[in-house]
Amino acid sequence: MAAVTIDSLLQNPTLLFRPKAKVMLKPPRSLDCSRNRKLPLSRGSCFCSFNPRRTIHVVRASSSETALIGNFDTSSSDDIFYKDIFPVKRIEKVEGKFFIRLDRSKDQHDWQLTVGCSLPGKWILHWGVSYLGDSGSEWDQPPKGMRPPGSIPIKDYAIETPLKKLSEGDIFHEVKIDFNPSSEIAAIHFVLKDEETGAWYQHRGMDFKVPLVDYLEDDGNTVGAKRGFGVWSGALQQFSNVLLKSEASHADSQNNSIESKDSKNKNRCLEGFYEEQSIVKEVSVGNLVSVAVRKSPETGKVIVCLETDIPGDVVVHWGVCRDDAKIWEIPAAPYPPETTVFKNKALRTLLQPKATGNRSGALFTLDEEHFGFLFVLKLDDNTWLKFKENDFYVPLLGTSSVPGQYGQSDITTEEISSKSYTDGIINEIRNLVSGLSSEKSQKTKTKEVQESILQEIEQLAAEAYSIFRSSITTVPEEVVSETETTKPAVKISSGTGTGFEILCQGFNWESHKSGRWYMELKEKASEISSLGFTVIWLPPPTESVSPEGYMPKDLYNLNSRYGTIAELKELVKSLHEVGIKVLGDVVLNHRCAHFKNQNGVWNIFGGRLNWDDRAVVADDPHFQGRGNKSSGDNFHAAPNIDHSQEFVRKDLKEWLGWLREEIGYDGWRLDFVRGFWGGYVKDYLEASEPYFAVGEYWDSLSYTYGEMDHNQDSHRQRIVDWINATNGTAGAFDVTTKGILHSALERCEYWRLSDKKGKPPGVVGWWPSRAVTFIENHDTGSTQGHWRFPGGKEMQGYAYILTHPGTPAVFYDHIFSHHRSEIANLISVRNRNGIHCRSLVKIVKAERDVYAAIIDEKVAMKIGPGYYEPPSGSQGWSLALEGRDYKVWETS
Amino acid sequence: MEVSVIRSSSQAKISKTELGCRDLSQISRFRKAGLRFTLKAVHSDPVLESKSPATFKSLDRLRLFVGLPLDAVSDGNSVNHARAIGAGLKALKLLGVEGVELPVWWGVVENEMGKYDWSGYLAVAEMVQKAGLKLHVSLCFHASSQPRIPLPKWVTKIGESQSSIFFADRSGQHYQQCLSLAVDNLAVLDGKTPIQVYQGFCESFKTTFSPFMGSTITGISMGLGPDGELRYPSHHKPAKSGTITGGGEFQCYDTNMLNLLKQYAEANGNPLWGLGGPHDAPTYDQAPNSNSFFKDHGGSWESPYGDFFLSWYSSELVSHGNRLLSLASSIFGDTEVNVYGKVPLMHSWYKTRAHPSELTAGFYNTASRNGYEAVAEMFARNSCKIILPGMDLSDEHQPHDALSSPESLLAQIRTTCNKHRVEVAGQNLAPGAPGGIEQIKKNMLGENKIDLFTYQRMGAHFFSPEHFPSFTEFVRSLSQPELHPDDLPSDEAEATESVQTSSDPNIHLQTA
Repeated sequence: MAAVTIDSLLQNPTLLFRPKAKVMLKPPRSLDCSRNRKLPLSRGSCFCSFNPRRTIHVVRASSSETALIGNFDTSSSDDIFYKDIFPVKRIEKVEGKFFIRLDRSKDQHDWQLTVGCSLPGKWILHWGVSYLGDSGSEWDQPPKGMRPPGSIPIKDYAIETPLKKLSEGDIFHEVKIDFNPSSEIAAIHFVLKDEETGAWYQHRGMDFKVPLVDYLEDDGNTVGAKRGFGVWSGALQQFSNVLLKSEASHADSQNNSIESKDSKNKNRCLEGFYEEQSIVKEVSVGNLVSVAVRKSPETGKVIVCLETDIPGDVVVHWGVCRDDAKIWEIPAAPYPPETTVFKNKALRTLLQPKATGNRSGALFTLDEEHFGFLFVLKLDDNTWLKFKENDFYVPLLGTSSVPGQYGQSDITTEEISSKSYTDGIINEIRNLVSGLSSEKSQKTKTKEVQESILQEIEQLAAEAYSIFRSSITTVPEEVVSETETTKPAVKISSGTGTGFEILCQGFNWESHKSGRWYMELKEKASEISSLGFTVIWLPPPTESVSPEGYMPKDLYNLNSRYGTIAELKELVKSLHEVGIKVLGDVVLNHRCAHFKNQNGVWNIFGGRLNWDDRAVVADDPHFQGRGNKSSGDNFHAAPNIDHSQEFVRKDLKEWLGWLREEIGYDGWRLDFVRGFWGGYVKDYLEASEPYFAVGEYWDSLSYTYGEMDHNQDSHRQRIVDWINATNGTAGAFDVTTKGILHSALERCEYWRLSDKKGKPPGVVGWWPSRAVTFIENHDTGSTQGHWRFPGGKEMQGYAYILTHPGTPAVFYDHIFSHHRSEIANLISVRNRNGIHCRSLVKIVKAERDVYAAIIDEKVAMKIGPGYYEPPSGSQGWSLALEGRDYKVWETS
Repeated sequence: MEVSVIRSSSQAKISKTELGCRDLSQISRFRKAGLRFTLKAVHSDPVLESKSPATFKSLDRLRLFVGLPLDAVSDGNSVNHARAIGAGLKALKLLGVEGVELPVWWGVVENEMGKYDWSGYLAVAEMVQKAGLKLHVSLCFHASSQPRIPLPKWVTKIGESQSSIFFADRSGQHYQQCLSLAVDNLAVLDGKTPIQVYQGFCESFKTTFSPFMGSTITGISMGLGPDGELRYPSHHKPAKSGTITGGGEFQCYDTNMLNLLKQYAEANGNPLWGLGGPHDAPTYDQAPNSNSFFKDHGGSWESPYGDFFLSWYSSELVSHGNRLLSLASSIFGDTEVNVYGKVPLMHSWYKTRAHPSELTAGFYNTASRNGYEAVAEMFARNSCKIILPGMDLSDEHQPHDALSSPESLLAQIRTTCNKHRVEVAGQNLAPGAPGGIEQIKKNMLGENKIDLFTYQRMGAHFFSPEHFPSFTEFVRSLSQPELHPDDLPSDEAEATESVQTSSDPNIHLQTA
């Protein structure tokens, strides 16, 4: 029933010639256009070409035969006085298949889950697993061995794996997941995502779930396994513009009877299954409707030829009009075949298929006194096609004008009408924007339009801002200017602190377990200070759905598994007393809801910040937000907050201010900042004026054939871009450096530690003052171990980051371990020599088995088993520290 | 029945019209408008027509432009940050902005004498046209230091050997950002006079951009001196906002200026006065009263010598302006494009009697003499319009000790322009001036309306989260003047109420 309208031609001049979406059932009609365009040259009349659109008008002006019209017209076509080709856009449903197969892999030992889809598109399987004994609906990341190549970890709970065609000829895009049935995995969960359209395919509004053990509680979204086809009978919910069509609901009864016989058999016996479903994707397809009007020299009647390449049955709903008012009337007979009268107002004619090609068309013979011919098209799926939300209109008067002239005058009228059309739109927009249009009946509608326009303006402005911004600070060059200042800047800025900061991550993944972490840490305050740390990062303080604190709920409730708000204040006070600044771990990207909305989706918040679903981004189907689209990546386990909303930003700024005041936090560690635009972070930081701030921008490095690329510039560029978006108000964890250290140390490839320009290859090489270097944190190491630093090589890592520029961060587990004294020594070398975040590095060796560098001409270091000694000479290097595969010297 | 029709379809309209009339507080108007409106409502005509013309006139007349980045084109053939500009243009169009201002630099286009490369600017013009916006072109015959856009290389080269083509101050320091007005008619540029070179530039511009003239391009600003403004470079370094600066220095010490002064002095029978500028004027950053020339009482400016010197100094500036504007209006006179020139707002020390900043800049405007008469008269003679910058400045935000008054100066210039029927267009100095937007609104919508305003300037700050929302707000408020938010129909109840209030018996009679 959807009315499909056509975009303004002026705004999309390329529309005509661009083959539309890749899913094209028929060859695009644009071929005809390009053929036509050549013709007028032979006539050479009134050719004015400003843009492609104009040249089409020329087609109309000329009287040459064109492929389209020629089909109708075997007689002379010189009397054609009007031709036009209307591009139309319609939504086409493309059907395909989608399957899930569980079977034994070839070696008959492991099992394999295969998910495939026959529709074209950029399909991504977004998946995770749940383990035996897990409660709740959260996903976990599958073990490494289970992840197919090309998988990208999404935070700590999911994996995204693209579906690939196994060979060119294959119909299906597939992904195969191998797993060992004896593992602890209870079920595999997934949803399917089409990156082209951003659409999600889910199962009854929930994840698909493939249980690997059979005593899982059935949440109603189980697929396959013991239950046969039955689970499929329910309608698969539609998300975005995608429909997953249920095969046949009448299969229900039948399925129930199939229900597995051994459903009571509760052992871990897996059964293979194969499920196939039809899947429907809506694709926008461009077609053309061409109209030609000529006068029959014999009868003096006007003949309108209409033709289109829209497939299927096309009904023309048509009439004529007497004047500009364009009021529909029914002309006198005769009518074309297959014509019926519709409610005495219009005629309906079914277009007849043409002998050639996939077109259909009709001829309408009319008396010449009619002013114009009006029509709309009705497609076989009850879709109406209109022209710019109006009827298609073909002028019929014009027989008297000379063809050549006609073309010209027509161009101008067309221009005028399209100009007035655009002007109309603009006026409308202006009225909307200025709030002048307040027609009550349209109010809600226009309000939506207005909001969407304002939103578009905001997005365009944001885009322009980010480009202008980045073109001002040419980041890779910034190093030069920064390193020029050999004297450290004394000025404190939130991106760097004093520039001499050394950060301690004051917790690990287990810290919540004692329930009194704040008190335990308080006892260590003076010890941490004496080791040389100047800043400590405390765990997320808010009430949280997960005990570790990263699923915050009521932001103003600071009683957590780490301790009470009173204990937190006490801890902060003791830390301040020993001269340590305190960073609060703030989770701004997402927030867990208190209540369900009317659809049973958790997206209504409670507590002091009792936001509704307008605070939730609109593009995560899990949470049905009514906000704007996310300005970053989505974190799928909780509603992502829409930072483009003024009230959200205001509330968050207030909250940060409150944390500063009430608790005494000096700065922030910002969780998952990939999730929203860095410009908002800037806003928050400017409002809360932290002493130091660092963001977690964590995405994967580039790998080719499973081997990490030497050049990770694009990875660090993304981090630098984010810092840039914050206007340098925050630093970022140097994930790039950690990744490169992994490869260099693990594989003895120390050459990786120099980039093409002889600088450090991480963020620290490009924007040292904003790089917070680290080798491990609560996610990568601790008991999670998502990306653990090569074992036994930690001290090489610290020898690197604690001697190099950037702000080094040391992980709690390493401080309170056997590494403690070595770390303390490195810190004291750093402090003794005044190494700071902008210190100058000279890489003197980056070879297979050794990396060596001299920092600020004051400290020399090497890591790796290979040989290096600093040059003997006037500088007088003396060995300051030595450990397994690392050495540090200082000048005496 | 009619009333119900109104209710269902057009309550909001009624309330709006009624409000417009309530503002006028004229009962007869009210009835008339209400009546007219009601009839229209029954016929469900568009809303806009039902507005009473007086109330919303300002909206229809007002045209807002936004300046493009100074370095939108900086090397002749490529557009810098084209994608950002493209996005920016779309955003502005959606906001309802009329057009953009594009600075076109002499130093970018004419890299070799007489050879012009317009390709970069043509590309911008096309982008603007495509976006459906208008274009105001500023022809810049000066150089910019930030971003750095120098004069044409060949001109700089001439200047290296012949520094007298530039202005000089008393210490002999040259100002190399634009040519001295004293060389306007001297063949110092490889046998051509600067005026001839400017003419070639303008003519080439006109031919090249002829497809855009009058349609996309609606206005051209002729560059008249430092920063494009009609003035002497009396401050070599632009003053930082908020700091108190001196009154600047006279710039009459290059050889050619001194020659002109000498001739003038001799012609006036005071040859001794023609040997140099005032000996008792303070230097750039000295307080004006630190020496005797600008002293409020008994300063030399009020002496016969002072009058002699200031008359000559200011008339040279006006003649220079006249030369360039008559050139521009003769070239562009046959197009539908309006020609503008920019006059600076030298507002510091305005509250002193001598107005030192204006005097050194070349405006002989003091407590006892309106120096803008000659300027306005010259613009009128050439049918050119004046662009006045600094519409965002308010007295309140000026440092108190500077004795500055941008508002009074603006008022003076505007009154003078009105007298000579010279139209004034507005500009702000920089976005982000304290209270700037409020002040702009005041200037645009007050008694003495301005129909064209150029907001400076697109760039990172312009689109930044701290600025852009306030700009959006500004644009929206411009098109919705004088309506207090409480007066707007916000919900059903309020609107219905309005209908009832406007249900005058007459309406029933008329519509029944």
